[in-house]
Amino acid sequence: MGLVDRGRLPKPLTSLFNLGRSYSLWVYQWGLACCAIEMGAAFGSPRYDVMRLGVIPLPASPRQADLVVISGTVTDKMAPAIKRLYEQMPEPKYVISMGSCANCGGPYWDSYSVTKGVDQIIPVDVYVPGCPPRPEALLEGIVLLQQRIKNEDMGARWRGEGTKPMNVVDGESAEKGGVPVVVN
Amino acid sequence: MTMLGDRQQLAYIAAQAADARVNVELETEGMTLNIGPQHPATHGTLRIIARLDGEQVVWAEPSAGYMHRGYEKLTEVRTYPQVTALVNRIDWLGSFANEVPFILAAEKLMGVEAPARAQHIRTILFELSRIANVSLFLGDLGVQLGAVTPVFFAFRDREYVLNLIEAATGGRFHPNFDRIGGLKDDLPAGFIDETRNVMKKLRTFCDQIEDLLFGNEIFQSRTRGIGVIPKDVALQYGLSGANLRASGVDWDLRRDQDLPMAWNKADWKVWTHPDGDSFARCWVRLQEVRESTKIVDQLLDTIPAGPVMAKVPKIIKVPEGEAWVSTENPLGEMGYYVVSQGDQGPFRVKIRSASFNNISIVPWVLKGVYVPDIITILASLYFILGDIDR
Amino acid sequence: MSSTETPTEAPRDERRDAELARIVGALGSSVVDSLVKPNDDIWIRVSADAWKSTGETLKSLGYSYFGFLSAIDWLPSPFGKGEEDPTEPAPERDSTIKQGYTGGSTRFQVIARVMQPFSSLGVNIKVDVDDSMAIDSWCSVYAGANWHERETHEMFGIGFHGHPDLRNMYLPTDFEGFPLRKDFPLLARIVKPWPGIVDVEPLPGDNEEEGDAS
Repeated sequence: MGLVDRGRLPKPLTSLFNLGRSYSLWVYQWGLACCAIEMGAAFGSPRYDVMRLGVIPLPASPRQADLVVISGTVTDKMAPAIKRLYEQMPEPKYVISMGSCANCGGPYWDSYSVTKGVDQIIPVDVYVPGCPPRPEALLEGIVLLQQRIKNEDMGARWRGEGTKPMNVVDGESAEKGGVPVVVN
Repeated sequence: MTMLGDRQQLAYIAAQAADARVNVELETEGMTLNIGPQHPATHGTLRIIARLDGEQVVWAEPSAGYMHRGYEKLTEVRTYPQVTALVNRIDWLGSFANEVPFILAAEKLMGVEAPARAQHIRTILFELSRIANVSLFLGDLGVQLGAVTPVFFAFRDREYVLNLIEAATGGRFHPNFDRIGGLKDDLPAGFIDETRNVMKKLRTFCDQIEDLLFGNEIFQSRTRGIGVIPKDVALQYGLSGANLRASGVDWDLRRDQDLPMAWNKADWKVWTHPDGDSFARCWVRLQEVRESTKIVDQLLDTIPAGPVMAKVPKIIKVPEGEAWVSTENPLGEMGYYVVSQGDQGPFRVKIRSASFNNISIVPWVLKGVYVPDIITILASLYFILGDIDR
Repeated sequence: MSSTETPTEAPRDERRDAELARIVGALGSSVVDSLVKPNDDIWIRVSADAWKSTGETLKSLGYSYFGFLSAIDWLPSPFGKGEEDPTEPAPERDSTIKQGYTGGSTRFQVIARVMQPFSSLGVNIKVDVDDSMAIDSWCSVYAGANWHERETHEMFGIGFHGHPDLRNMYLPTDFEGFPLRKDFPLLARIVKPWPGIVDVEPLPGDNEEEGDAS
């Protein structure tokens, strides 16, 4: 929408759009390894149900998804596939890196075939640490992402301006923009 | 229970022959279908390249390696406790079961044996991880065939088992609880009663899955007669676990091997099925979960008192030697060949994982099969990518 | 379910000794060395030109279950455990090659394991791999050896005569080097070595039985 682009939208409308976007995320689950099971428990099990947050884990393809959760070890052989599928997602898109393997290589930090962190390939918005993180930790990561989206400046994003890290204090995010880090 | 009716077999063959005629007329040869590596129906990042002739597979090849993390190289630069922590993540659904053969091999080299209480508790946790693993298989089986409901049952009932494992070891998966010489800690208070309750719930779950899934006419027609693997082929490829028992081989490493674990303290049965098709494999696994709940119930009654850890030095150096231990893991036979040269860490560890052999039969079994049956056969063979790729 | 928890030494020994005698009788002079560890396992080492016929003979003796096939590189690693400071000169390391059970005379050995179903008796078979770095393939004997030989080839660089398709199993096609050889470095550890044992502090109320804390 051209109005958003040029920053002419009034603030109530922007926050309404942001609210709508943050509570209607479609998650493309990229389940690679053990974290995929915890992600499956978070998304599919009746106990840690993620749909109550407004996040729906059922897109049929990456082209219909807003959010991708990379859970599990990223190997060098798999990396081009991740890049290609990330590029297929339409803007605005967000990435949650789940688990220590996706954050930084994890227990396989010294392996010859593991990519040391998925942020070497694609930009990441939220890092959820753990091996594997509990489903509640993943849900907290999603909640933080939603707070970030609510405070986002869409005009700045579409103009391609950079983002600042977000300070997270006691689970409450304060300012706009940025790359939040989940502090467990 | 063997119902591989001739009529059904003949109908299948006739359908294939009819297709072959159509394929020749329409010149449908030569399409290459790429399944994966990211696909909701494969248990992880497995890529199958299938060359099709119409709807039939002419040639299929799994392309593994998308989860290859280099375990065998990493074990050479880690100490034994570090390797234990790492090795949990091979079969990531039934994690405790991965530690056990490695620890048993190290104990064999050191000449220590864990105290009876530790062996008993190890067996209980081993069977709990088998239940956790296979109950997810039962749920996923439905999803891969198109029935979405069983997976919610599976995740819900699996949570109970994971809570038990977490109460005892501190981790839902990846417990990292085994130590050379015993276990890290003793069982918490209230564990035994809670486990009994959970076993009752799991038996209900098995009954529900049997009603929902196995009795369903669509499930039966999609799995009976599909992907038949004869006994001798299965042995040649090194198929193990429920896959082998579904082809009629009455062999279970828990019963037929003498390991310092407590399986021979309980009265249980080994399930086999003569057919060797996909239905047989799924059915055998269902019965094995039920049998595991019975084993756990019996073992809970008879846990011996005593220490959970033998006397081992603080810094463990395993003497020189080589040892092989394999156990009947949820996925099949998992074994470790540990070569030690007297250091704090192993010199070489060869990890023999069950799914590697189970999937090596895929090129053989997928010839001439229809495309939807590819998923059925893969679902019934049941692999975990960490186990294939290590 | 029927075997006792405390096996007496003699019966198991006899069983494995008898089994070894049967194997050696069938294989004859191909067996260079052998070992039985009581209540444990059987090891044999055969000569390289008899590798394939060993497989065929074992299969005919009832060892129809294929366990695994892999290799061992007996060179001690020139990088140690990657725990030293990379700016310091590397410490002197012993690089004598010392083989394990049943000996050997080469740096690389291929090891395979086959089992008898039902009785769970297994035999580990080793063979020396000389400088030509190739031995016969077991594919025509045990079909499951196909994938194991592919993996051994890409990890160690050992060739297998008669293998239908010796491609990479796990690694991308443009990967250089053979990872499981001991002289293949783990670059991440060389760039930043693991700090090793940082703290050894007992937990409150701890006993002395905890393992090491690195």
